[in-house]
Amino acid sequence: MDTVLTTCPFCPSGCGFYLYACDGRPAGVMASERHPASRGRLCARGWSSHEASAWGERLTAPLVRHDGRLRPVSWEVALEAAVEGMVSTWRGGRAIGVLGSARATNEENYLAARLARGALQTPHVDSCLAATYRPLLDGLAGVTGRHAGRGTIADLEGSEVILLFEGDVAATHPQVAGAIVRAVKAGSRLVVVGSVATQMARLAALRLTVPPGRERGIACGLVAEVIAAGQLDTAAVVSSGSGFETLRRSVAGIKSGETVSRAALWYARSTCAAIVVAPLVGGEGELRQLAGDLATLAGVTGHLDREGSALLILPVRGNLRGACEVGVSPDLLPGFAPLDDDETYRRLHALWGVAPVRERGLGAADLIAECRGLVIVADDPVSVMPSPAAARAALKAKDCVVVLDAFATAALDAATVVLPIASFAENHGTVTGLDGRVQRVRAAAPLPGEARPGWAVLADMLRRLGSAAEYHGADEVRQEIALVVPSQAGARWQDLDDGWGVIAPDRGLAGLLSLGALPPPAGPEGTQAVAVWDGVFDWGSDPLVRYSPTLCRDAVAQRKLFPRGVVEMSKEEMERLGVRQGWSVRVRSQSGEAVAPAVVRPGLAPGVVVVPYACREALAAVMGGGIAQVAVERA
Amino acid sequence: MQASSARTIGKERVGEWLGRLLTTTEVIAPALAHAGDVLFRRISSPAEVQWDTDNPLSPPKQVVLPQTDPLAAIRRGSDGFTVEPVYDERSRVLLAVRSCDAKGIAFLTSMHGADLPDTAYLRRVAAVTVVSVACTKPCPLGFCICCDAGPFLADSFDVQLTDLGDRFLAEVGSEKGSRLLEPSADLFRPAAVNEVERRRELEEQAKRAFGPETCHFASAMRRVSTGRVSAELWDEIAGSCLECGACNFVCPTCYCFSVKDQRRDGHWVRCRTWDSCQFRAFTLEASGHNPRQDHRERVKRRFFHKVSAQYFRRDGAIGCVGCGRCVKVCLGTTDMPAVVAAIREGAWHG
Repeated sequence: MDTVLTTCPFCPSGCGFYLYACDGRPAGVMASERHPASRGRLCARGWSSHEASAWGERLTAPLVRHDGRLRPVSWEVALEAAVEGMVSTWRGGRAIGVLGSARATNEENYLAARLARGALQTPHVDSCLAATYRPLLDGLAGVTGRHAGRGTIADLEGSEVILLFEGDVAATHPQVAGAIVRAVKAGSRLVVVGSVATQMARLAALRLTVPPGRERGIACGLVAEVIAAGQLDTAAVVSSGSGFETLRRSVAGIKSGETVSRAALWYARSTCAAIVVAPLVGGEGELRQLAGDLATLAGVTGHLDREGSALLILPVRGNLRGACEVGVSPDLLPGFAPLDDDETYRRLHALWGVAPVRERGLGAADLIAECRGLVIVADDPVSVMPSPAAARAALKAKDCVVVLDAFATAALDAATVVLPIASFAENHGTVTGLDGRVQRVRAAAPLPGEARPGWAVLADMLRRLGSAAEYHGADEVRQEIALVVPSQAGARWQDLDDGWGVIAPDRGLAGLLSLGALPPPAGPEGTQAVAVWDGVFDWGSDPLVRYSPTLCRDAVAQRKLFPRGVVEMSKEEMERLGVRQGWSVRVRSQSGEAVAPAVVRPGLAPGVVVVPYACREALAAVMGGGIAQVAVERA
Repeated sequence: MQASSARTIGKERVGEWLGRLLTTTEVIAPALAHAGDVLFRRISSPAEVQWDTDNPLSPPKQVVLPQTDPLAAIRRGSDGFTVEPVYDERSRVLLAVRSCDAKGIAFLTSMHGADLPDTAYLRRVAAVTVVSVACTKPCPLGFCICCDAGPFLADSFDVQLTDLGDRFLAEVGSEKGSRLLEPSADLFRPAAVNEVERRRELEEQAKRAFGPETCHFASAMRRVSTGRVSAELWDEIAGSCLECGACNFVCPTCYCFSVKDQRRDGHWVRCRTWDSCQFRAFTLEASGHNPRQDHRERVKRRFFHKVSAQYFRRDGAIGCVGCGRCVKVCLGTTDMPAVVAAIREGAWHG
């Protein structure tokens, strides 16, 4: 039994543990006591992270669809079929799209971006979960000039005040929730903004309850209150020039009440304070503006540039930040460089030997719908996209779908070529955590069957498409990434092997703060109930949970109990409607109606109906983008 | 301890002793991993043993009760399925184990031997020789003294070593221990009276070094066993638990498991896997009913099993050896000392 230090593949907290194998299969986990991101603490997923690789339905041989069925073939045949499929789609003038993934390493994602913008000369490259994260980063960038927040999870424990925009971090990011629990125990004031009484909300010193999708009302109120009270960081305000005056005028009319005022003053007056944004349901525009509001709040109070203060945007899954950062994006080059950034363009051109495509491509939803050929790297659009039905139908209509994955997923139903790659337990590479820490993933077990490392398969495809892509190991890909991602310049790369990963040095804001008017938040809600998804990702459908005997049980039980979906309501609302646990209700919105059983969600405010993300398909007719005004009645 | 049974070995000879052991058996000991981490792992050289380190975060439980534990191989034959037990009877020495962990293994062995004996476990543990090291000073978070599990042991070891500076005193606690030392008898000599006396002094010093604030199990046991902990208090405690299961996984005495068949090339292996009573699905029944649906019921269950009089009478010990690991690994703040204090005081302080 040998132990290998690796990085947790689930959420982006970047926890470190040792993985070990027995009889060639991953068999267990030992937490790393000194790892700075986890310090010996793992969540349930981390402790069972070895299971999916050992128990899951693994892809062990390349497959090519022939006469309607996927059949095992040699690697040579499969790779040629993949390249031929892409080239013929391209020659036929039909669009090709490439999907990277939060489940893939930085190296795999970078090569996916290179495959798209370099070898295939297509701008259509994205990842299925980017829409849950990128708008928030764009909002930050609009104020700070950087597609990143600041600080680490460890900063939360030293924060006097924590403003948490829930989500449900206890479920989605337990390591972050743990830091909050310990901070509260040590005396921090926790302010929770959200519509559901989550575990964190119950620990809060102050709860700011808002209807789903109205978080901006609180965020703008907080900005207005700190400005009205004059609790400002003079240097930050002065450096932002006339922008501050525009900002002040735009929020002058906002009246938000005593509790928001109290939270604002707590935040502004503390030495170290944190803002945490859990994955939220919302449209692109609202999420972007919310992040802008919060960056403004942190900026004018000085917390954005203060050691010990944090502004953490939590990506919903493992390597989502890394995927975005290394170029899996339809509107950015690697390193979050704009498409018209000449410097990055020149570097990529030199490294790739071909001019990268500089047009803006399609985002994941449109890419899946419109491209005729698809390369999917370690993802399953049907399980992950907000509309499984749309993804399923779109995939079926493709000319060519090349799937690289370690696990059998629903994407195989539409695949024309399947290329088996390493799961995290057999892979080498790096991933990027929510705080920007780049860490190694190391192989603890041999590859099953004929599977190959994902980076090696992508490099092989690049070479077959005529690119010079001679990489001798994943680390050579990592070194190439470092050349094109400016934020990684100056990083102590020896820490990748000798220490606990690399966090690029924080260069501070230094005149980058750009303040301006905040768009007015949406007005008061109507009198109707609001239905909302309980998140933007369903772990139960992720192969690493689905194939883990220990982790899959809750999701399996829920699907078994409620095959037609379920809605969660307050006890009062159920009583008012005269329905008991498990009885059906009819939920009606402007876009349609659906019937589903209802169950009580303790602590939920009347007027809010929660739809588990896993049940989104059953209530698709009602929900639209994840938030809908609804009328509920007994069915 | 009988002076006549104790031996000593000069530290300059320990390398040779271990070198000889390594030629005949697998030796698992605390050894350096990445950047200062220490893990129980198989060593290949005596120099790898970390004698003076804090107890590793992961206990040696995994050696006798692996996280993935193959129990039976299932094959499909021409006349139906065959089921063959899988036994792991590798001879292994578990070296430099702390007293709490030796006590933990003894607890697991006693549990797996009771009622229906668990052959897979018992055969494995029978091939493991436990060489413990008595603790001459308490570890920072340990409270073994409250659990009758240290700092020195009177039983539950095969060999117990005490660090006397330039030599180790070795006490033999079992036939297995005796067999382990026999081939290296030339490296040991009978302990002198003053060496045995020194060991006693060290034990007394170690006991006195524990602070007054340890873990008040007696009070907790009275309250838990008589139902004098309110549902509201369990609710509050549950509010600080993030259901990670780490307290169970690193606990030297926790043994709850699940069973699942793993598909391998052409056959299946039925595996026992670590499970946690803190997981909602642990008690989920096939009907969908869950007797411990509420989080507070699961937290309550854990502490009832650990410290109630009912289990104390059955097992002869509380389900805690005071290693303090749950304090380190708890993702929230619901470690054993914190919850025992809350039960005793009737209030949760987060």
